[in-house]
Amino acid sequence: MKRTLLAFIRKEFAQVLRDPRMKLILFVMPMLQMTVFGLALSSEIKNIKLAAVYAPSDAAARRLAQRFTASGWFVPVAAEGRAPEDLVVSGAADAALVFPAGGFAREAARGCGGVQLLVDGTSVTRARSVEAYARAIFAAHAAAEAGLPAPAAPFGFDVRIIYNPEMESPVFMVPGVMGMIVCLVTIILTSMSLTRERELGTFETIVSAPLENYEILLGKTLPYIVLGLANAALVIAAGFLIFGVPVKGELWRLFSAALAFVITTVSVGTLISTISKNQQQAMLGGFIFLFPAVLMSGIMYPVENMPALLKPVVYGNPLYYFTTLLRNILLKGGDQSVFVFNMSALAAMAVVTGAAAYNRFRQTLN
Amino acid sequence: MTGFNLHRAAAVARKEVMHILRDPFTLVLVLGLPVVLVVFFGFAIDFDVKNLALGVYDRDNTRHSRQLVSVFESSGYFLPGAVDSPAAAVRGLDSGRYSAALLVEPGFGREVGGGGRPRVQFIVDGTDNSKAQAVLGYLPGLTGAALRKFGATVPADPVPLKTRFMYNPELNSRWFVIPGLAVIIIGLLSILMTALTVAREWENGSMELLLSTPLRPAEIIAGKIAPYVGLILAGVFFVNLVARFGFGVPFRGSYLLFLGGTVLFALASLSQGIVISVVTRQQQLAMQLSMISGLLPSLLLSGFIFPVESMPAFFRYFTMILSPRWFMEIARGVTIRGAGAADLALPLAALAGLCALLLTAAFKKFKTDLEP
Amino acid sequence: MTAAPALEVKGLSIKFGDFTAVDDVSFTVERGEIFGFLGANGAGKTTTIRMLCGLLVPTSGSATVGGLDFSDGGKGIKGKVGYMSQKFTLYTDLTVGENLDFAAGLRKLEPAYAMRRRKELFELIAFDSPLSTMVSSLPGGVKQELSLAAAMLHDPEIVFLDEPTAGVSPASRARFWALIRKVTALGKTVIVTTHYMDEAEQCGRIALMRTGKLIALGSPDELKASAFPGPMAELDFNGPAPEGFLESLKKNQGLLELSPQGMRWHAAFRDKAAMDAALSSLPAAAARTLIKPSLEDVFIRLVEGIER
Repeated sequence: MKRTLLAFIRKEFAQVLRDPRMKLILFVMPMLQMTVFGLALSSEIKNIKLAAVYAPSDAAARRLAQRFTASGWFVPVAAEGRAPEDLVVSGAADAALVFPAGGFAREAARGCGGVQLLVDGTSVTRARSVEAYARAIFAAHAAAEAGLPAPAAPFGFDVRIIYNPEMESPVFMVPGVMGMIVCLVTIILTSMSLTRERELGTFETIVSAPLENYEILLGKTLPYIVLGLANAALVIAAGFLIFGVPVKGELWRLFSAALAFVITTVSVGTLISTISKNQQQAMLGGFIFLFPAVLMSGIMYPVENMPALLKPVVYGNPLYYFTTLLRNILLKGGDQSVFVFNMSALAAMAVVTGAAAYNRFRQTLN
Repeated sequence: MTGFNLHRAAAVARKEVMHILRDPFTLVLVLGLPVVLVVFFGFAIDFDVKNLALGVYDRDNTRHSRQLVSVFESSGYFLPGAVDSPAAAVRGLDSGRYSAALLVEPGFGREVGGGGRPRVQFIVDGTDNSKAQAVLGYLPGLTGAALRKFGATVPADPVPLKTRFMYNPELNSRWFVIPGLAVIIIGLLSILMTALTVAREWENGSMELLLSTPLRPAEIIAGKIAPYVGLILAGVFFVNLVARFGFGVPFRGSYLLFLGGTVLFALASLSQGIVISVVTRQQQLAMQLSMISGLLPSLLLSGFIFPVESMPAFFRYFTMILSPRWFMEIARGVTIRGAGAADLALPLAALAGLCALLLTAAFKKFKTDLEP
Repeated sequence: MTAAPALEVKGLSIKFGDFTAVDDVSFTVERGEIFGFLGANGAGKTTTIRMLCGLLVPTSGSATVGGLDFSDGGKGIKGKVGYMSQKFTLYTDLTVGENLDFAAGLRKLEPAYAMRRRKELFELIAFDSPLSTMVSSLPGGVKQELSLAAAMLHDPEIVFLDEPTAGVSPASRARFWALIRKVTALGKTVIVTTHYMDEAEQCGRIALMRTGKLIALGSPDELKASAFPGPMAELDFNGPAPEGFLESLKKNQGLLELSPQGMRWHAAFRDKAAMDAALSSLPAAAARTLIKPSLEDVFIRLVEGIER
C-alpha cells in the first residue's frame, strides 16, 4: 500500500513537474495573479469622467466644477459644445453637470432652477456613487461660498470601521483570490489526469496490476492533494509577504480548512475525469464547475442578496465555505462558531464528493 | 504551393463541422451553456448592498431611539436584530453574523428632544471594503430620514441638484450584469474550443496528417476558426433573445454594429485559443493556460465587475491588451446606451487591432512550427 | 510449480449487455507455449485476453490462469500474469527508470528485488541506454521491448501481449519475436494476438477467432492440413485471366478454394487427380506452381467457409 502510493506520488510529480511550463503555471502564475488582482481590483468608484456644461462667462459655475475635479473622484472632460446627452451616449463622459443657461450664481440667488446632473445609469453602483459624491460636493461648496461651517445635524454617527479600517481592497480580495487559485489549479490538474491516462492507454497498465480500487484512486488523487496544499501554503505566504494580509488565526485552522477544501476539489476533478470521454469534455466539465464556483462564492459580490431559489447553489459551493473560512481566520482571527460551522460543511462535502468519486471510479473500472 | 485556397480551407472547415456535429456535447455546450449561464447568473448576481444584518444595542429605549432603529429597518438596507450588550454586538461582527452594529447610549432621546447633539456609535465590518463603503454612503440619507421622523428641521440644500439617471432610470443592475456576462461566457468558450481542438490534433498525431497535405497554415487556421464563429454567433443570438425577452434588457443600438463587434471578438478569442494550443501542443497545459489567460483576467480585469477606471494606472493600461475589456465596452454601449460606431471608434479599433495581432500570431507560430 | 496447464478455458462467454463479445470459447494452453490469437478487429481477441488477465470477469464458463480461477474477482490472476496492452503502455513523458519504478510500485515489489529484475530484463532485451533517457526519445521497437520488460518486472508465469508489434518496423518486429522466443525459453508462457500472418506462423499453436467464436485451433501446420487436405497451385496468367476460365474453374467440384493474390490466383483442390483434371484446360501462356498454403489462405478459407 505504502509502496504503491509512493510510486504514484513520485510518478505524478515527475509528470507534472517535468514540464517547466507547468512549473511556471503552478508556482509562478499564482503569485503573479495574486499581485495583479490584489493591486488592480478595487470596487471603489473613482476617475469618473465628468463634463461640466456652462456658459464661458459663468465664473460661479466654473468654481463649482473645479471643486468636482479637486475632489479626486472626477476627471474633467471638455464639453466642446456638444449636447450633454450626446456626451454621455457616446461614452465620452460618465456624467454631465448642466448649469442653468442664465448663469449659475443668478439662478441660485433667485432660488429657482437648479443644476442638472445627467448620470449614465448603465452601471448601477457607479451611478449611485456619482450622485452621492455630487451631493457631498454641493453641500461643501455651498458652505464654503457662504463662508459658514457646514450646518451641523442635531445628531450624528460615530463611525468605527473594524478589521480593515483603511477599507483596503487587497485585504478583502486576496483571501478570495487565494481560494480561487487553489480551486482552479486542483480542478484543472485532476479533471484531466485520469481521462488522459485512459486516452493514452496507460490506464490499462494500472488496472492490470493486482491493486484494490481504493489504492488506485488514492494513488491518482493523493499527489494532487499534496500539490494543492503546497499551492495553498504558497499563496497564503505570498498574501502575507506581498500584501501584508494578516494571519490572525491559528495555523492548524488554516491547514484543516485547506485540507478539506483540496480534498473536495480533487474529488470533484476526479469525478469529472471519470465521467468525461476525452480531455476536451474534461476541460469543459471543469469549466462548468469552476465558473459558478467562482461567481457564487461571495468573492466578487455579496451573495446575501441572491434570490432564495439560487441560495442552495451557494450553500453547495465549497469555494464559498473556504473563502468564508479564509477571510475569517486570516482577517478576524477565527471565530469558533464560524469555524465549526463552515469547517463541518466543508468536511461533509469532502466526504460526500470523495465517496461519489470512489463510487464512480469503481464503476468505470468494472 | 499557391496562395490561400478557399476550397482547401472549406475542406478543413467541413471536417471540423463534422467533428462538432458528431460530438453533441460540444454543440449543446456552445449553444445552450451561454443561455443557461446568463439566465442563472442574471438572477444570481446582484451588486446591491441591502438586507444587511445589523446588530442593535438600544440602551436608551425611548421613542426617539426606537424611531432611529425603525428608520434603519424601513430603509431596506438593514435587517436590525437586538443584542444584549456591546460585547455581543462585537462578537456578532466577529462571527460575520452582523455586517454592522448600532449602539445607542442612554440619554439619546432626552438629548435629541432637548436640542443636544447626541452621538450614536456605528461599527462597520470593514472586511469587505466595497460593502463597508456602501454602508457609509447610506448614513447621510438615514440621518435626514431620522431627523424628519423626530420632527426636527432638516437643513435645506442651498442649491437644488436634480439627478437624472439616463438609460436605466430605475437603476436595474441586471441591465449592467447581463451584457457583461454574455461577453465573458462567450469569450471563454471560444478560447476553450480552439485551444483544445488543435492541441488534440497534435496529441493524436492527426496534425501530422493535416501537415502532410498541401494545406497552408492560413487555410488550416481559417478552417478551424470559421465553424466556431458560426456557432458563437448562434450562441450570441440566443443569449440576446433571453436578455431581451427574459430580462427586459433593452437593445438600443444598431444590430449590425453589434454583429461586427461580436465577429471581431469571436475571432480574437478563437485566435487566442489557437495560439495557446500551438504553443502548448498538449491538452492539459492548453487547458491550464486558457483558464489562466481566459477565465480570471476576463472576469476580473475586463470591467465586468470591477471598474477599469478605478484601477491603478499601470493596470488600466494593462487591460488594453484584453479583448473582453473592449468588447465589454462595445456590448454595453450598443445595447444599453445605443452608442453608434463613431462613439465606439476607440474600442472597435482596439478590438480589431487585437484581433489582427492574435490572428497573425496564430498564423506565424503555426508557420514556424511547420517549417523548422 | 504445479503441473497444471498454464491456461484452461471451458465454455467461456463474455457479454456486454446484449452484445456477446466472446461466445463459448474453450481451449488449453500448456506451459512454455507461444499461443497466438488470430482474427480481424472486433473478433474478440482483446476481450478474451483482458479477461484472462483478470480485467474482466466472464459472464459464463470457467477459466483457470496459472492454476487460479476468478473466485476472487481476478485479483490473484493479476498477480500471476504480465499484460502489455494494445495501446502503448509506458509514459512517454517519464524516463525509463521512472517508468520501471512506477511499474514496481504498482506490483508492490521490494526495491532490491525490482532492481535485480530490472538488471536481468535489461540483459534480456539488450537495453543499454541510461535510466534517465526519456521514453519519448526512444525508437519504436525499443519502446515495445521496454514495455515488455515493464510487464515482466514481477516475474509473471504467463505474459499476454496484445498486438505487440502494431506500428513498428519489420526489422523491429523480427527482433521482438526473437525476444518472445527467449522469454518462452525461460519457461514462461506467452499469449499473443496479431493480425500479421507471418507472425502467426511463429506461434506454437494458433486460435482463430471470428465474431467472438473460436473457429479453429492448432499448430500452423495442423491448421493448413485440415483446411487444405489436397494440393494447392498458384496460377499466373501473365496478364488478365482468359475469358470464362475462372468461372468454369469455380464451378469445378474438385476445387476447394480460389482466391486472388495480387495478380495471381491460389487454387486449392480435393486431391491431385482433381487438380490435374481441373487445370487440364489451363492456357499455355499461364504458369502453375505447386505451393504450400499459407496461414492467410487458411484464414480466408475458414472465415469464408463460415460465411458461405
